[in-house]
Amino acid sequence: MAARGPRAELDSLLLQLLGDLEELEAKRAALNSRVEEGWLSLSKARYAMGAKSVGPLQYASRMEPQVRVCTSEAQDGPQKFWMVRAGTQTPEEVGPREAVLRRRKGLTRTPEPDPSPAPQDPLNWFGILVPHSLRQAQASFREGLQLAADMASLQIRIDWGRSQLQGLQEKLKQLEPGAP
Amino acid sequence: MGDEDTVTGFLLGGIGELNKNHHPNFLVVEKDTTINETEDTFRWFLNREDIGIILINQYIAERCSMRSMPTTLLEIPSKEHPNDAAKDPILRRARGMFMAHDLR
Repeated sequence: MAARGPRAELDSLLLQLLGDLEELEAKRAALNSRVEEGWLSLSKARYAMGAKSVGPLQYASRMEPQVRVCTSEAQDGPQKFWMVRAGTQTPEEVGPREAVLRRRKGLTRTPEPDPSPAPQDPLNWFGILVPHSLRQAQASFREGLQLAADMASLQIRIDWGRSQLQGLQEKLKQLEPGAP
Repeated sequence: MGDEDTVTGFLLGGIGELNKNHHPNFLVVEKDTTINETEDTFRWFLNREDIGIILINQYIAERCSMRSMPTTLLEIPSKEHPNDAAKDPILRRARGMFMAHDLR
């Protein structure tokens, strides 16, 4: 009787874990597809531009990331990751006041914070007019990045779930020491 | 951390950083890149506070014995070495959870 609570919790945790594993594998397959599409597009771009025209020789000497990963630390749960494009506002910064600004009341302007310069698009490293295949490669890898953030969050959640499961199993062993 | 195409692709995606001190947040692993150099770079990335996730080709992670590393390590396929699910550390740890005597 005393073990019913932990058993139900164990079952729930196990189901959650299996669901997370399934989701992780689905995202892994999707990431692999995006990366393979990206490689193919890079090969096509190389064919159009020249064998040595798409590679480390073209990397810029100064790079600023266009995309960053944000993380949340929950006190009682696993860490989460998500991708944020550089220069985008967080939801908390956009509020009702923005609607007033959009009504354009005369010439008065609300002082805005100095915008940081937008990071350079990496496509520009390869020239001004780049083939469509290079843009396709960029799109594939961008999608891959979002999947990577989701997978990282899932991996952490799976490891957290695993440690919770082990803890519950130990607890059950103590509550039911004579159980087979 | 990966082969040339993988790194070029993800840099195109916009995650590359090369600051004024010439400290990159990426490494192109070539045929003549030594295991020591790869491991040193990996440890440096681990210690950096501005890096949250490390993307690494599976064959590089395997070669450098980096499997027992934190979960923010994400193994991805490379052109010449596709991903092998059996070698994925997360799945191997998960498989180890479901032993018959633990589920009674």
